Order: sequence, then structure tokens, then C-alpha cells
Amino acid sequence: MHMARRYFRVRIASEGPLLADQFGAAVTDVVRRYFGEVGLVRIEPRMIKFDAQRSEAVFACRRDAASQFEAALALLSHVYDAGVAPIVVGISGTIKGLRRKK
Amino acid sequence: MAELVRVAGYSTVGLTLPTGLMPEKVARIRRFFRDAGIDTAMRVDLAPTSRNELLRFLRRFRNLYDVVSVKCMNQHVSIVACRDRRVDLVFFDPANRKVRFSNSLANLLRGALEFNIAATLQANESETLSRMSRDAAIAEQEKVPVVLSSGSTSAFMVRAPSQLAALGSLIGLSTERSYRSVSEVPWMIVSKNADRKSKEYVEEGVRVATPSAR
Repeated sequence: MHMARRYFRVRIASEGPLLADQFGAAVTDVVRRYFGEVGLVRIEPRMIKFDAQRSEAVFACRRDAASQFEAALALLSHVYDAGVAPIVVGISGTIKGLRRKK
Repeated sequence: MAELVRVAGYSTVGLTLPTGLMPEKVARIRRFFRDAGIDTAMRVDLAPTSRNELLRFLRRFRNLYDVVSVKCMNQHVSIVACRDRRVDLVFFDPANRKVRFSNSLANLLRGALEFNIAATLQANESETLSRMSRDAAIAEQEKVPVVLSSGSTSAFMVRAPSQLAALGSLIGLSTERSYRSVSEVPWMIVSKNADRKSKEYVEEGVRVATPSAR
């Protein structure tokens, strides 16, 4: 069954250089921490793209849990003891739409 | 930080600076934000320990700042802060167990209740979120205006308005109320106080009418 998704363009401000895996894992961890394993399954966050040079990432989650995913992103403040600010700069129902919003 | 605030999508920010800061330095900080395309509203955070101290602070600072916020340290201060119309925002520290937002305080409140996300990022999150949820439920019940602010002290605490609204929904505010609390409510406070500072303003509902050219 097709699951409707929401796509988030996230600008990342961080104290040090970030790796895609580290950041993706940190986002998964923060969702798990605040919403639990069931919440993680329900939200289903996924990192689609990570651009270290532009400090940007694109995430997808289930559409009906978009608000929870956004709140979880707001609660992420550290990745391996380094301060980090993930700022949502665009939300769309398609990746194409997200690109258009740039 | 100003650049990050602009990227996050803000057009106006409330700046909290130490009250003793030199005016030149304040002007420089404000110019820094203006150059990034962001308006600033000067804000003072008062943390009085007694009723008399609060009244003294209000007499001294009300006319100097665009937004006056009071951190409620105890029950006496919170009663006066909620009742006094010079206070724009009241904030209850989730870590402070001595005082809590209640239905009776909500009924007295003339300003708005502020939720600070910085408190969530710094303190014991689960306890902080549970206290914020409880306060939000009272605010919903009593239809109290709510302001969600980032409370940023560094660039790493800046969050987009939609993220703050999502946090509002998380603590139990309705979606519409959450969005209003990051846009309409703070904007109304700033514009109302700007109006109060204008020359034509006499008191609430009374203005000096200038004769129009015929």
C-alpha cells in the first residue's frame, strides 16, 4: 500500500563537521527517545539526502506524523556532544516540490 | 546568529539584553540584525523575588522596553505579574517546584503565558515536557494567549517557527493555537506596545486625534 509522506528540507548549523550517518542516527535516536519504538515505526523517519557542503539534509516521514517529526527535530540539540541546530526551511508533499521551494 | 534567524524564517525577534548594557552596544546589536533583514523588539526578562521588587522593576523598565516578561519565582510574584497589565509575558520555570501555573492564575492573567523551548533543551526533558503539557492544558481550558519562544542564547538553539508550533502541538495545544502562538500573539504584543509608545496614545481606547487637512 502506498504511504503518503512529507519531505523536509533541513538546514543544519553545527559546531563541528557532521557526517551523514552520524546525523541520520542522531535524528532516529531523538525520535525514539521522545516517541519510543512504536512512535519510531509510526513516524518512519528516513534521511533521503545529506549535503555536507551546503549543510542541508532532506528527510521524509509519514504524512500523518509530520508534526511529531518536526517537533523531534526541534528537540535535537547535540550530536556526539557537539551543538547542532536542525532548522526546517521547507516542507512539501513531494521531493520535486521541495526543490521548487528553494 | 542573525543569518540563521533569517534562514529560519523570522521577520522580527525579541532581543533580551542585560539591562546595564551601553546604548551604543545595544544599537550595534540591533543594527547587526537589521542588516540581516530582521526587525528587533527589545525585551526585558525580570526575575523578581518579591512583589515589591516586581513593582519597582516595572516602574523602572516598562517604558524602556518593547516587551516585558516576568519569570515567576514564587506564588506572590506570579499573582502580581499575572494581574498587572504592564506585564506582557509570564514564564514559569519548569525546574522550579515552588510555583506552578494554575487555573486561578490563568483567570488573573492579562498578558500571555510563555513557553520556552530552551528550558526543554537544557533541563530534564521528560519532567519539563510533562509540566509544560500540564500548563498548556490549563491555558487551553482557560483560553489564555500563549507565546512559544525559542529562548535562544546561542545559534544552536534557534528553531524555525513551524518547529516551535510542532512542539506546541506536542505539549497539547491545538494546531491553530500553536501557529497563533508563534505569529499572531507575539506580533500583537509588539504592535500594541509600539502603539502605546506613540505620541497620540493617551490610554487604552483614547488617542489624540490630529485635525485632518480639509
